[in-house]
Amino acid sequence: MNDNQTLLSVENVSTHFFTEDGVARAVQDVSFSIKKGKTFALVGESGCGKSVTALSIMRLVSTPSGKIVGGNIVFEGRNLLELSGKQIRQIRGNKIAMIFQEPMTSLNPVYTVGNQIVEAIRLHQKKSIKAAWADATETLRKVGIADPEQRVSEYPHQMSGGMRQRVMIAMAVSCEPTLLIADEPTTALDVTIQAQILDLLDQLQEQNGMSILLITHDLGVVAERADNVAVMYASRIVEVADSRTLFAEPLHPYTQGLLKSLPRLGLSAKRLQTISGTVPDPLHFPAGCKFHPRCCVGCSDKRCQTVEPKLRKVPSGRYVACWYAPGYEKKCKT
Amino acid sequence: MLLLTRGFPLNEQGVKLKKELPKGRGLWVDGLRRLRRRKLAMVSFGIIMVYLLLTGFVCVTEIFDWQVGPARWDEKVGSEYEPPSAENIFGTDFLGRSVFRKTLYGTKISITVAFWASVISLGIGVPLGAIAGYFRGVVDEIIVWLYTTLSSIPYILLILAFALVLRGKTVFGYKLAGITSVYLAIGFTSWVGICRLIRGEVIKHKDREYVLAARSYGCGNSRIILRYIIPNVFHIIIINFSLSFVGFIQAEVILSFLGLGEKTRPSWGAMIDAARLDLPKGYWWEMTAATIAIFFISLALNIFGDALRDSLDPKLRIQ
Amino acid sequence: MITYIIRRLLYTIPIVFGVLLITFILFIVVSGDTSVEEAGKSASKETIEEIRKERGYDKPLFLSWDSQFIKHLKNTLVFDFGRARDRELIIDKIKRGAGPSLSLTIPMFLGTLIISVSLALVVAFLRGTIIDILAVLLCVAGMSIPFLSFILFGQYFLAFKWGLFPVFFSPDLTMVQYLALPVLIGIAAGLGGNLRFYRTVMLDEMRSDYVRTAFAKGLSVRRVLFKHVLKNAMIPIITRVVLAIPFLFLGSLLLERFFGIPGLGYLMIEAIGARDRYVIMAMTYIGALLFVVFNLITDICYAFVDPRISLE
Ligand SMILES: Nc1ncnc2c1ncn2[C@@H]1O[C@H](COP(=O)(O)OP(=O)(O)O)[C@@H](O)[C@H]1O
Ligand code: SF4
Ligand SMILES: [Mg+2]
Repeated sequence: MNDNQTLLSVENVSTHFFTEDGVARAVQDVSFSIKKGKTFALVGESGCGKSVTALSIMRLVSTPSGKIVGGNIVFEGRNLLELSGKQIRQIRGNKIAMIFQEPMTSLNPVYTVGNQIVEAIRLHQKKSIKAAWADATETLRKVGIADPEQRVSEYPHQMSGGMRQRVMIAMAVSCEPTLLIADEPTTALDVTIQAQILDLLDQLQEQNGMSILLITHDLGVVAERADNVAVMYASRIVEVADSRTLFAEPLHPYTQGLLKSLPRLGLSAKRLQTISGTVPDPLHFPAGCKFHPRCCVGCSDKRCQTVEPKLRKVPSGRYVACWYAPGYEKKCKT
Repeated sequence: MLLLTRGFPLNEQGVKLKKELPKGRGLWVDGLRRLRRRKLAMVSFGIIMVYLLLTGFVCVTEIFDWQVGPARWDEKVGSEYEPPSAENIFGTDFLGRSVFRKTLYGTKISITVAFWASVISLGIGVPLGAIAGYFRGVVDEIIVWLYTTLSSIPYILLILAFALVLRGKTVFGYKLAGITSVYLAIGFTSWVGICRLIRGEVIKHKDREYVLAARSYGCGNSRIILRYIIPNVFHIIIINFSLSFVGFIQAEVILSFLGLGEKTRPSWGAMIDAARLDLPKGYWWEMTAATIAIFFISLALNIFGDALRDSLDPKLRIQ
Repeated sequence: MITYIIRRLLYTIPIVFGVLLITFILFIVVSGDTSVEEAGKSASKETIEEIRKERGYDKPLFLSWDSQFIKHLKNTLVFDFGRARDRELIIDKIKRGAGPSLSLTIPMFLGTLIISVSLALVVAFLRGTIIDILAVLLCVAGMSIPFLSFILFGQYFLAFKWGLFPVFFSPDLTMVQYLALPVLIGIAAGLGGNLRFYRTVMLDEMRSDYVRTAFAKGLSVRRVLFKHVLKNAMIPIITRVVLAIPFLFLGSLLLERFFGIPGLGYLMIEAIGARDRYVIMAMTYIGALLFVVFNLITDICYAFVDPRISLE
């Protein structure tokens, strides 16, 4: 997995929250890798553990309850989980940057946006205040903010949601990271603005050559933009494939369900299917395959109800976690 | 009127939870389960129970005129100012009475005062808050004006003023003396907090679906408030009750100490007042006994109230 | 800005009126005619009649131009509270007491504020560790000890027994000498509640999204706490600070009594002892007025810390 095309590889990472109500296994045994300059999408319903996966990479899982309990996260040849606090801080915001779902609250309300961007620049680069401010203005221009000279000294509350998300992106790319984690960057925004933001990310990727980990609950967003897709369900990755293959031939019943629920041309909204049921809560996961209460393939299968399938390579060369996926069982007997 | 209510900008940011807590019965089941897991809170609950049982016991002995233990607090058990010994574990006071018995008896006075003060303050605050939040309009403005005005008078002064004025008054042929004027003063002055909370909560709830549904099949206003809204804000009442109880106990101490409280029977405040003159002479035990009694009930109530709040509604923390 | 202040000032009118109404009902209507008590035991009929005239007890309560209520409004608004039992003007007594009270409460307040905010930052930094849990428990324990016990034991041990401080106020002592102990006791007693409050404020701030953003930039915890969290936490801190100022003027009832400091707390204690409700009424009114004024100041202060609040 670790050739020199790979920028980040997440190997068997598990993150748990030790809460009063019990242990929430928010991320279990998750593995994937991101290639240089490519976009990797992590897709799944809300609550399945996408954000926690991203925060685990940044080592920002909320303390003291949250803990990365196992695995490796190898970034540019170094295991992030073994770095000291100081070393990881030099990577955060510098090599790996992150933007969040809530542009309305993710910026500090009492500082100007310029101040907040400059802070990131000056933290990682030896620059004078003046040069950093010039940089900040320039980055704002790059992310498509009109009149950046004036905007740079405005407060977040003076801007719209879309504009704030652009500021977040500007802050993230100001140090030219090699990996940008975008955690549902468009979920909180209007539909018209969503496409603009995603286009902006594409365009920045072209300019900087950075990799993007795009987190979303909307498979539709992924289709044209991602090179590879991992589908996550109830703390686990259930299927990984390059995006063309995944859309053409989904293997996991959950992925199939997701695709069926996508609106497509020529299909009236009425005929859209949804997956019945809800995402289980990490405190009360069902036994066996966590998808079995909602799965129309294996809901009455004894094995699906008792033994959880792990993510495995099937003969077709793809990765999936389902007893009924073609070739999965044979492989598993060995 | 909007500015008068002084909504903190802080509340908007408030405490953010990952998940919205479920309301209604699930809230109680979940909350109590969480509460039961907190050992310290459970120990505190035990301590509170001991104080309550003691209060009940003293009341019973008084009703049936049993001459046992704390009921015989005015009996002379030794000479004046005997230091603590095996016989009198907290020693004796200036009349040779057992400080231990006085402390036990004082429990009843203090708990009774705090209890009635809570009843009065909830009895005023909850209905007013519910009415203000539910009907809004002029009624709301008047109630908000009333509590904004009251809360702009420094609490200690307000309570002193009430205690001073109520003392010795005759109402409906009943002379307000001793602890009655104390709990009336505390009760009348401390309903603002709960009123404000309930009003805010009711405003939040009154346009929720279940209330609209109830209204659509013809429920009257009073029925909606009693059957649908109050149960949904009941946890706030309970939390407020347990946390303000501490304040009431301490207020009783200060009022009694200032000579505005019970004069003829021992209360913790009166014991501290007596000890004020004894302490410089080296008679520390009466003071210590009262302090310990107050300390443990306050500590238990504080810990239990906090745990209750965190289990039932963590969002209330900052108010 | 000016229009905002003016509008905000107008909003205080119903409140001040409400305070006047409440003090009137409480101290005049409910208390009733106490001229007999005020005159003293062996007073003649004429003295009682004279007092009744001076206080206006012979006038109707509300419905007339010379009613007691109108008189109450007129007098109180210009701080004319009449005379105390010892015939001295109440307002003079209050003016005299404010200085000693402030010299006690200001150092006490600042000390508590500085210590508890800095400790809260430390505790927030160490959140979830054993030190944090212990600190919270200690705070709750401190809050559970009655203020009176703090004072009595503090005075007994530190001044009386060990002689570290003078026991009592006397005019020939310097201010530092006689204020040190009461200030110290006041800080110790107030620390628990304040520290716990500020810790909650800080921790709530630390849960905000912008803090996560700040960490994602690579900032250190110290930097996040001092640059990002502290400035946001200033809003609740300022509220608490400004709203505490009126109480500073009122002095400390118990501390002043025990250390014999001739401030406003002492004045009130004396008034309670003498059942002199006019003094208490004056203090109530002044206290409420200060509170209203500082409430106004708080709202204006927000504007300087929080750019989101526009004054227009
Ligand atoms: N700080 C936390 N404490 C406890 N549980 C948490 C915390 N953060 C997340 N979780 C749990 O982890 C699960 C996954 O959350 P998240 O990664 O935010 O989902 P999403 O896929 O929507 O981003 C959630 O169901 C939640 O219960
Ligand atoms: S393992 Fe069974 S239950 Fe799970 S997805 Fe596959 S078929 Fe459905
Ligand atoms: Mg998420």
